[in-house]
Amino acid sequence: MASVRSHESIELLTYSEVIEVSGYVGNFKVKIRKKPRYVDEIKCTGCGTCQEKCPMKADSEFDFGIGKRKVIYTPFPQAVPNIPVIDRERCTYFIKGKCRACEKFCEAKAIDFEQTEKIIDLDVGCIIVTTGFDSFDPTPISQFGYGRYDNVITGFQFERMSSASGPTGGKIVLKDGSEPRSLAILHCIGSRDLNYHEYCSRVCCMSSLKFAHLIREKIPDAEIYDLYIDLRCFGKGYEEFYNRLQEEGVNFIRGRAGEVTDIAETPEEIGRLVVLCEDTLIGRQRRLPVDMVILSNALEPRADAGEVAKLFSISRSKDGFFMEKHPKLDPVATTTDGVFVAGCCQGPKDIPDTVAQASAAAARVMAMISKGSVEIEAATAIIEEEFCSGCKTCIALCPYNAISFNEERKVSAINEALCKGCGTCAAACPSGAIISRHFTTEQIMAQLEGVLT
Amino acid sequence: MAEKKVATKKDTEPKIGVYVCHCGSNIAGTVDVPQVVEFAKGLPAVAIAREYKFMCSDPGQSMIKDDIKQLGLNRVVVASCSPLLHEPTFRHAIQEAGLNPYLFEMANIREHCSWTTEDHGEATEKAKALVSAAVKRIYLHQPLEVREVPVNPNTLIVGGGIAGIQAALEIADAGHKVYLVEKDPSIGGHMIQFDKTFPTLDCSACILTPKMTSAGSHPNIELMTYSEVEEIAGFIGSFKAKIRKKAKFVDESKCNGCGVCIEKCPWKADSEFDLGLSQRKAIYTPFPQAVPNIPVIDKESCAYFLKGKCRACEKFCEREAIDFEQQDKIVEIDVGNIIITTGYDPFDPTPIIKYGYGKFPNVVTGLEFERICNSVGPTGGKIVLKDGSEPKSIAIIHCVGSRDENYHKYCSRVCCMYALKYSHLIKEKTKADVYQMYIDMRCFGKGYEEFYQRLSDEGVTFIRGKPAEVTDRAISEEEKGKLIVVGEDSLLGTVIRVPVDMVILCIALEARADAKNVAQLFSISQGADAFFIERHPKLDPVATMTDGVFIAGCCQGPKDIPDTVAQASAAAARVLALISKGKVELEATVAVIDEEKCSGCRICNLLCPYNAIDFIEEEEVSRINDALCKGCGTCVAACPSAAITHKHFTTEEIMAEIEGVLV
Ligand SMILES: Cc1cc2nc3c(=O)[nH]c(=O)nc-3n(C[C@H](O)[C@H](O)[C@H](O)COP(=O)(O)OP(=O)(O)OC[C@H]3O[C@@H](n4cnc5c(N)ncnc54)[C@H](O)[C@@H]3O)c2cc1C
Ligand SMILES: Cc1cc2nc3c(=O)[nH]c(=O)nc-3n(C[C@H](O)[C@H](O)[C@H](O)COP(=O)(O)OP(=O)(O)OC[C@H]3O[C@@H](n4cnc5c(N)ncnc54)[C@H](O)[C@@H]3O)c2cc1C
Ligand code: SF4
Ligand code: SF4
Ligand code: SF4
Ligand code: SF4
Repeated sequence: MASVRSHESIELLTYSEVIEVSGYVGNFKVKIRKKPRYVDEIKCTGCGTCQEKCPMKADSEFDFGIGKRKVIYTPFPQAVPNIPVIDRERCTYFIKGKCRACEKFCEAKAIDFEQTEKIIDLDVGCIIVTTGFDSFDPTPISQFGYGRYDNVITGFQFERMSSASGPTGGKIVLKDGSEPRSLAILHCIGSRDLNYHEYCSRVCCMSSLKFAHLIREKIPDAEIYDLYIDLRCFGKGYEEFYNRLQEEGVNFIRGRAGEVTDIAETPEEIGRLVVLCEDTLIGRQRRLPVDMVILSNALEPRADAGEVAKLFSISRSKDGFFMEKHPKLDPVATTTDGVFVAGCCQGPKDIPDTVAQASAAAARVMAMISKGSVEIEAATAIIEEEFCSGCKTCIALCPYNAISFNEERKVSAINEALCKGCGTCAAACPSGAIISRHFTTEQIMAQLEGVLT
Repeated sequence: MAEKKVATKKDTEPKIGVYVCHCGSNIAGTVDVPQVVEFAKGLPAVAIAREYKFMCSDPGQSMIKDDIKQLGLNRVVVASCSPLLHEPTFRHAIQEAGLNPYLFEMANIREHCSWTTEDHGEATEKAKALVSAAVKRIYLHQPLEVREVPVNPNTLIVGGGIAGIQAALEIADAGHKVYLVEKDPSIGGHMIQFDKTFPTLDCSACILTPKMTSAGSHPNIELMTYSEVEEIAGFIGSFKAKIRKKAKFVDESKCNGCGVCIEKCPWKADSEFDLGLSQRKAIYTPFPQAVPNIPVIDKESCAYFLKGKCRACEKFCEREAIDFEQQDKIVEIDVGNIIITTGYDPFDPTPIIKYGYGKFPNVVTGLEFERICNSVGPTGGKIVLKDGSEPKSIAIIHCVGSRDENYHKYCSRVCCMYALKYSHLIKEKTKADVYQMYIDMRCFGKGYEEFYQRLSDEGVTFIRGKPAEVTDRAISEEEKGKLIVVGEDSLLGTVIRVPVDMVILCIALEARADAKNVAQLFSISQGADAFFIERHPKLDPVATMTDGVFIAGCCQGPKDIPDTVAQASAAAARVLALISKGKVELEATVAVIDEEKCSGCRICNLLCPYNAIDFIEEEEVSRINDALCKGCGTCVAACPSAAITHKHFTTEEIMAEIEGVLV
């Protein structure tokens, strides 16, 4: 992360979003909205005094709500860049017009309540989309009691809890601060489930094993149950890790949990959470009394994946992730030339696979840069303006957004650099004004005649 | 503090600046920074000591630069975080102010001190000790020169499977020359042997042959098939490779691939490509779409080579391309980078006697089944038993040789999915009942779980449990003449016997039999599972410990085609970045051997993990190639004659540092 910031060839635009993309491979124009931080990036030294002095607190998004942060904050101590932002929604000054504590204490005079958003225009040749995933919210699966029971947490919350710089300083604790004596880890929450996501999230088996291992390390005598359907430990060294955990004494139970409840049936269960499940290996229903339940929840497409897809003219597969051009032959390209995808925005995957894909996307871009020019499809469509009625039918239909309307002349015009020659517009034009070069009506008729001889 | 005056002569006396960082409250919250600064001021040769909130910030760096210029500092110590994070930042800063970047030392008072020490007093004392150590040590630092070597833009790729082809095309498309070396007569690797590929069920040859053809005809790719790398010398940026082009006995410049010779050749041998399920001629191309489409004569089965008579091919070849006198040729090439894509070997299940492979003709491996299913394969794509009849039931056994303490502990990652693919192909082509016996269904890729669901709906019977045995001993009428798969259905908890006509073993992917030689040749290492090891599984998954040598595809570990392609492109990206930079910086902190002291024992030669030490026969001493040395220090510690010095970690420097800590 630090080298990204200090690299001469990287300009980091954080707290920013792409709002508009136009152009085509080799010549994209991108509009970026830089949201106001209310902190001058040039003046701020990242000293952190403002955060210390700010009197207001909010739930930390970074800690998934299990920790707090200030209203002026960096999400975590090693943030890059190490420049705080003011959370406008919660800042007393913005809400009530009073406070400005941060401003008073900032030696660098970097606080700037007047900052407004900035729009930046960039010219780029290629685009790589790496917007990652969202973590599935298990609240709708009400039988697991997430949100209802304090000690039912998600995998991500456990990650933060287990982290030395997290809200509990790395201690695995229940809400009341005590140490759990028994824990259950439930796989495939929201994955492999026809009601939520049919796909497998690919990483949660391994992260579940990691959790089991961390628990064993920090609470050596804890009873750990791991409830799985299939243990998908397919990567390099993964099966070996699974074997090691079996030796570390984790109770693996093959079966999907049915319910998490606090209704006790035996004295042992009183005051605890009970995981109901079928152990498919012994063919019996079991009740597992535990103190904490960790839900290994699915990785899902970002909530805004639809908008991002539209912005960059890329498609999504049925599961909602961005679609690659060809799963085997072109796994990082998209159907829009010059736009590539990498990492979890294309589908769930672990870090090694993400890194490999990211480098692959970089390779494609470098090849284009070092070649310096791209060849553009020659078999494109053209509009004969004298026949065009200006009905705009074609504009809405073009899958590559290649057609625009010339307001002055009241006709449509095709951008040849964007046109892929798919022929959709030619077939749709009610005035027959569009010619698909290389597939003219004459050529097609001649071919048909030929077939019929 | 022992006043041992330094032996090394210096033109200028050291003038050291010490800068202690607060790191916001990260350090200053625990360590009493002003006290450390006062302490540092009292250390010998320290000209100035200062503190600042964030040394790494621009004002922090300017403070150091100004002091170098105004006070004439010639050595700088920064007490802050780990050198892993900001050593490059500060080295760069002092260089900008005109100092040699190696006249810098970092004392880690964050990770090693403030973050790990609760007591404020203790933390301050420890910070002082660390600063004192750094000051003592930097006193002895010498300027070191970073050398740059140019990067030859040509790339050698070893192995012409999908991984090698992908990487070659990626680099060639960017306009750079690639030598693609393949040991077999054609490129294509395992993928060209398949019928369909999961989960999309595209025809494997249909999606691969276009890539093979473009690799074959690409102006920037020089294909060297039927060839092997024999020797590698040099280092990143300038490797020299010796490649043996095995004699094909066919002149590549004359042959037009008409195939008459193959037609006329009267001799046959088992086809390697069809895994012995069919025969090929003595002069052959492994498969019809071979790239290049030039036959080779297999000396072992050619009548002329065996008995001195025949030459039928020669007679019929209109182009006069047959050349029985052809010899192996050694070609030398210069390249800047190397990508290894040598793939995997399929596991041979013969040793697992209980599954009866080799004993029962209708027990086949996955790869054999690929050929059986393939419309240009030995059976023309018909799924048939050895006697030609169609099977009525088929069992597919997972994890054969994988997830098995006796063979390979690892999971082979693709066999669950190819097993599902077979179920589908069987359902499509026959009416057979299909049983899949698995431990866990590992369907983790994009669209894989969905494919599994679809197969469940197609009526495949999934049985959870690893079979114990395949036998032909029937115990009931129904089992007569069948193969019986005996095992435990772990879901029912009962022993089951499934009578079937055919058994497909989902064999493991294992490291190539010659992986060890390849590893040695290219100075890369193998893991416990014998696959090549990447530099870092998460952060550097395609690099190796040898700079300029990259790995991709199944030679690094089992993986499917999408993951192989991604890795291959990733390796290409790394190479392209090096090419476009045009030069690499070599480590300056290397080891040197004092040849006077070297006894010629060669202990260091074997220990160096980077093969950087050569033995000079004439002079009977060892010598370090400083382009290869990474400065790990292994040899320094091992040399019994203490002949080896590490340039940035001399014995004096280390002793001074220890003395410093003990203040
Ligand atoms: C609980 C859990 C534990 C895991 N543990 C491991 C593990 O131990 N080992 C392992 O290998 N893998 C693990 N993984 C998987 C790992 O998280 C992913 O492989 C990895 O994070 C994927 O990286 P990415 O860059 O594709 O996506 P992300 O990490 O999601 O990064 C995407 C980035 O894009 C930004 N972004 C999103 N939309 C936009 C937009 N429109 N404009 C600008 N920026 C945007 C986001 O803010 C984010 O910074 C785990 C996953 C989970 C859920
Ligand atoms: C039965 C079976 C079915 C499969 N089905 C599928 C599927 O449907 N879908 C899917 O995605 N994956 C499938 N796979 C996985 C797929 O085979 C691999 O992902 C892919 O072949 C890996 O490609 P590679 O280039 O790394 O290795 P390989 O295909 O093994 O290619 C390596 C090449 O290097 C050459 N070589 C080796 N050593 C040397 C040397 N020393 N010098 C020069 N050349 C050398 C070899 O001759 C070969 O041409 C299957 C695997 C098996 C075993
Ligand atoms: S990786 Fe494992 S836990 Fe995650 S969805 Fe797949 S099978 Fe379930
Ligand atoms: S007959 Fe001659 S030209 Fe034809 S394939 Fe054989 S060697 Fe080549
Ligand atoms: S991929 Fe499936 S069949 Fe292959 S070794 Fe792994 S678990 Fe076994
Ligand atoms: S320091 Fe390490 S890399 Fe350098 S020669 Fe010695 S053993 Fe080899």
